[in-house]
Amino acid sequence: MQFYNLISRDLKLAFYSNTNFLFAASFLILILILIPFVFGTNISEFSILFTGFIWISIALSILLTLDRVFTSDYEDGNLDTIILTQQPLELIVCCKFISHWIANCIPIIMVIPIAGLLFEVNMQDILNIIINVFAGSPGMVFIGAAISALTLGSKRADIYKTIIIIPLYIPFIIFGANQESGLVLLGLSLIAFIFSLFTSTYSLRLYAE
Amino acid sequence: MYIKLPNGIIESLRRRLPIFNIATLIAFIFGLYYAILNSPPDYLQGDSMRIMYVHVPAAWLALSSYSFLALSCIAWFIFRNPIFNLFAKSIAPIGALFTLIALVTGSIWGKPTWGTWWAWDARLTSMLILFFLYAAYIMTWQTIVNKDLAAKISAALGIIGFINIPIIKFSVDWWNTLHQPATISKLSAPSIHISMLTPLMLMTFAYILFLVTVFLMRYKIETLDQKILRVSK
Repeated sequence: MQFYNLISRDLKLAFYSNTNFLFAASFLILILILIPFVFGTNISEFSILFTGFIWISIALSILLTLDRVFTSDYEDGNLDTIILTQQPLELIVCCKFISHWIANCIPIIMVIPIAGLLFEVNMQDILNIIINVFAGSPGMVFIGAAISALTLGSKRADIYKTIIIIPLYIPFIIFGANQESGLVLLGLSLIAFIFSLFTSTYSLRLYAE
Repeated sequence: MYIKLPNGIIESLRRRLPIFNIATLIAFIFGLYYAILNSPPDYLQGDSMRIMYVHVPAAWLALSSYSFLALSCIAWFIFRNPIFNLFAKSIAPIGALFTLIALVTGSIWGKPTWGTWWAWDARLTSMLILFFLYAAYIMTWQTIVNKDLAAKISAALGIIGFINIPIIKFSVDWWNTLHQPATISKLSAPSIHISMLTPLMLMTFAYILFLVTVFLMRYKIETLDQKILRVSK
């Protein structure tokens, strides 16, 4: 029950905040709009660029919304209240991971088929991309959340967080850009889950002291 | 749990710092003499191959410094002795410097041999990422004002990077590979001639001495910093 409450609270916050669900999806579209301006209007080459830009925009949109995972709660004191509920920290961290993934990556996944139409990507490729994003994006969210938990105490940490996180995203981007590597991405996500769980609980304990 | 031993060794080494300075200088003179003047040019690459004597030791030491950094982070987690943090903090900029040397000399070497300054090849890319891992570690100490907190966070970051290196290496290898395989990793019969191996080993020795010297200097500064912090509290 506590699990459900925490997730629904975070989702409500995400929905009513000024960077709500719409943000991630529109961010993807806006990044994709830039492609024709940069590379010209030769449609046949777009389908190659499409996958890459999808992954880049996922990485960027996760980076941009990392504040919502722990930092905003930490700043207005809600994190202390959540920790004081005596729930296991692992559970709290899991809730944060899941709600952030739902708020950030599900809209992107829903928009991918529509965006694919703009660039004349065929259905099979779109399906592969969606499978890859499904398998890979949780890992990216976990890593981002873990690092943002680790750097809770530092002010003006945005660039610093980016420097830590982008190298950790490289394996995901490499396998994500390849068409048939959903299983590898799933494995990477699971590895990322274990280590981010440890890191996040470790850092939450640091700040709870 | 508190270990007295490493402190004693490091302190006694630090008192002999001038000896290390002179030894480094002499080793570099010998190494560079052999590398530049007293070794044959490569029959394929000519004199441009002499960059190897600067490039390869730097790359080796860049990697092993990161291992040292990560191991001291792990040791900090086990023993909670602040000295391990000082080790990691002292070695990080040196490792970053070696990574930078390896990258720059590598790209200078790449121009005459491969024809480009930079190729998006597995080993080059992972060295570049290693540089950013070092940068992240160094930045932790600078951005986080509370030094106790910075110690805990940076230790975690060092270990995360250590776990990440093999993953990155694997994925980047899978992605693309062009760099020649390692020549000296097999100890039994190195596929490099003895006349080139001697200067390489001399240069490696000089690099190690340089690393130790700078490490001891930085360690001295860090301990003094620590003392100032303790007094100001």
